Amino acid sequence: MKYIGKSVPRVDALEKVTGRAVYASDMTLPGQAYMKMLLAHRPHAIVKSVDTSAAESLPGVIAVLTSKDVPANEFGYYTYDQPVLCGPCAKPYADRVRYVGDRVAAVVAETEETARQAVDLIAVEYEDLPVVSDVEEALKPDAPVLHPDVGSNQFGHHFLENGDLAEGFRQADVIVEADYNTPAQEHAYLQTEAGLAYIDEDGRVAVITTGQWIAKDRKQMAHALGLPEDRVRVIYPMTGGAFGGREDISVQIIVALGALKLHERGIHRPVKVVWTREESILAHCKRHPFRVHARWGATRAGKIVAAEVKMLADGGAYKFTTSIVTSNSVLNSLGPYEIPNVRVDAYDVYTNNVPRGAFRGFGGPQGVYIAEQQVNKLADALGMDPIELRMRNLAGEGSLQTTGAPYPPGVTIREVTEQCALGAGWELFRDGTGWNRKAGYGETDQAQSHKRRGIGVACAHKNVGFSFGYPESCTVGIELYGGREIERVVIRHGASEVGMGTHTAITQMAAEALDIPMEQVELISSDTAEVEDAGSVSASRMTFFIGNAIKEGAEIALQKWRDEDRPVKITHTYWPHKTTPPDPVTGQCDPNVAYAYTTQAAEVVVDLETGLVEVEKIICAIDVGKAINPQQVVGQIEGGLIQSVGYAVLENFVEKDGRVLTANLSTYLVPTIADIPEKIDTIVMEIPDPRGPWGVRGLGEVMNMCLAAAVAAAVHSATGVWFDDFPLIPERVLRGLGKLNGRTP
Amino acid sequence: MSNHKINVTVNGEVEVVEVPANMTLLRMLREKLALTGTKNGCSAGECGACTVILNGEPVNSCMVLAVECDGASVMTIEGLSKDGQLHALQQAVIDQGAVQCGFCTPGVLMSAYALLQRNAKPTDEEIREALVGNLCRCTGYNRIVEAVKQAADQPETVAA
Ligand code: FES
Ligand code: FES
Repeated sequence: MKYIGKSVPRVDALEKVTGRAVYASDMTLPGQAYMKMLLAHRPHAIVKSVDTSAAESLPGVIAVLTSKDVPANEFGYYTYDQPVLCGPCAKPYADRVRYVGDRVAAVVAETEETARQAVDLIAVEYEDLPVVSDVEEALKPDAPVLHPDVGSNQFGHHFLENGDLAEGFRQADVIVEADYNTPAQEHAYLQTEAGLAYIDEDGRVAVITTGQWIAKDRKQMAHALGLPEDRVRVIYPMTGGAFGGREDISVQIIVALGALKLHERGIHRPVKVVWTREESILAHCKRHPFRVHARWGATRAGKIVAAEVKMLADGGAYKFTTSIVTSNSVLNSLGPYEIPNVRVDAYDVYTNNVPRGAFRGFGGPQGVYIAEQQVNKLADALGMDPIELRMRNLAGEGSLQTTGAPYPPGVTIREVTEQCALGAGWELFRDGTGWNRKAGYGETDQAQSHKRRGIGVACAHKNVGFSFGYPESCTVGIELYGGREIERVVIRHGASEVGMGTHTAITQMAAEALDIPMEQVELISSDTAEVEDAGSVSASRMTFFIGNAIKEGAEIALQKWRDEDRPVKITHTYWPHKTTPPDPVTGQCDPNVAYAYTTQAAEVVVDLETGLVEVEKIICAIDVGKAINPQQVVGQIEGGLIQSVGYAVLENFVEKDGRVLTANLSTYLVPTIADIPEKIDTIVMEIPDPRGPWGVRGLGEVMNMCLAAAVAAAVHSATGVWFDDFPLIPERVLRGLGKLNGRTP
Repeated sequence: MSNHKINVTVNGEVEVVEVPANMTLLRMLREKLALTGTKNGCSAGECGACTVILNGEPVNSCMVLAVECDGASVMTIEGLSKDGQLHALQQAVIDQGAVQCGFCTPGVLMSAYALLQRNAKPTDEEIREALVGNLCRCTGYNRIVEAVKQAADQPETVAA
């Protein structure tokens, strides 16, 4: 292949290293006014009244928006359960704020300062309601109900049943049972949310913004603004990171409403808004914390025969993508294993915490933490090596998933596990012992006797594409220009470049499919007025889906070229393998188009005096199917692993009674360059996915799936203590070691 | 808010700018001089996205008032390449794949530039120390360390 498999420089690299790359927050339009939003800053209340008169009379204020200005005061990813601006209006219960980041009003003014001052002059009368901040409290019969129209704080139940659980436990020689708590996690993308709204040359309301899916943003905007979709336009320039946190609406609707209101009053001025870091942390979603009870059993021969998992997902104040996140956790809480008897129940629960939503891995890391802790504990209880136990239970080609359907073709978790194990010092003994690693457990640091070393391992699969019967597709436009030869190719696509290199991958794949130099491929990107719906940049789907769309479309376009069409202009839609929704009785289904696979080992040093856990080395094997751009693949993997190090040992998102105690980057710590492991060994495997373009598997999230569990196992091997809650910050570790009393928040 | 007229040299050009007393250097660069390469990730000295060189030293420009820069010399990302020639650090960031979303990149490059100005052959440890204030949520930092090492091994500029 000429272009695929080459580590060419990113197509956006030059602009980014020179500071010329444009992000939404960098854009200005002539005459633009500035918006500032009023956040509720209280977790649960009824907005009795909003008095904007003082704000409106401040010189320089152009408009103040409240609930009464929103045509349809509701939005949401799957369910319209969040008010655009909380306050009295026609929609029942839209007068409530349900978390600190709910928006109550917005000011448009000549300058940002004036807008900020005016926001402080808005007088809101609240009637505070009792706050529900704990999932179990939220499910009690007398708990205050956040959404009276739903009737209960439980807004979803996902389950899976297969085999005969009671019989499975009868066969088991050992049973491990535990309660787990997984933490929330903040995306902390470097660019905060931003939007610049204006009325475009065709009279549409347009917003240049940060996001992951132009079509989905447009749909929700059109609904709330009471406009047909074709009167709304969404444009993404470069976006400064996303990781799932931009899957949902942030500023888009309100800033567009600002421009529309001005326009209605004959004021033809664009409106710009940029959230502060605090606004970003308070308002956008977080990774779901899960509270879990798990009980698994295995035979002495190392066959896992029963797995029972019950999970409560804290969904926060609004639904966002919770139900699908939780469904995905159901699947992942059983790992990539063949387990004949299973029962999983997972409940989606509203609380007055910041809403939970998509975060790289999408419920996977939580589910995987459960599965892998259980498997590592079973190995411990059986006195069996954790790799060996996995090898006796991992799925292979032709295996059935725990959901009953066959795995998509190209199951490679066994190959991936083998590579990781070999890379991490395991050996396969042919004398019947199987896989074993002789050293590395609970060793004391020679130089510092208060430090212990350990190693742990975990593995996972990650779905590629939306799951459970979602009607998946991906559309691209392909245009060929020239005379005798193709001189120029235009690819129209809706893949948001949030940093993962999608524009580069698209360029490489188009060049390959059309056999034309990359320099002649031009992209028209992420503008609903210019491109069709490619779907979301999430669920590790874009390279896989758009690659298939380009590959199939290129053949059609080239045929037209050979038929003397000049220029050739086509749009082509890729329709993947159809998945199915969970059966209403058993939850069984054919959930996914494809999977990527990873196995990871972590070596840690635990300081028994300070409780500090340092991840010294990571060995990460991932099957990427085919690396379109090997250098970018390694970069993606390393970046995701460091986010996982943060998730495992550092990032501590603290909320108390619905208030966020870590609303900036000096209290919510993400890994710095000083926190990274000394060594990361990435083992990139390329076993083609039969459904992927050129064999590609999705890569965006798989590296984020299982490191926390590997670290927990490593800490156990160093200290002899199982930690069922994380992040493993020093305080929690010291408590676990019996050196501190009380609970870690 | 009273306005002040200041003289400041930015990327070698003398600029006369009117700024309110409470305006930060970051906002002056972005809003008064349209130099939007310098990014705002927090406005609070916590992320390093706004790093520029002020009188030879790397600073978080969100923590410096513009009026303090009267008579000062400032270098931003826009001043790193000269006459269409990328600086060795910029080329190295491209070569090593050390840029993803790119939002941290201008600040990272400025911190790394300041490091190489005072220490042409930094160790890994010194690179980590110099960049500890620059958060990057995408790359995991390894490629960034490699890029600084590559640049340290090269003459100051390379062909674009
Ligand atoms: S914007 Fe200055 S340190 Fe973050
Ligand atoms: S490349 Fe995205 S923050 Fe560094």
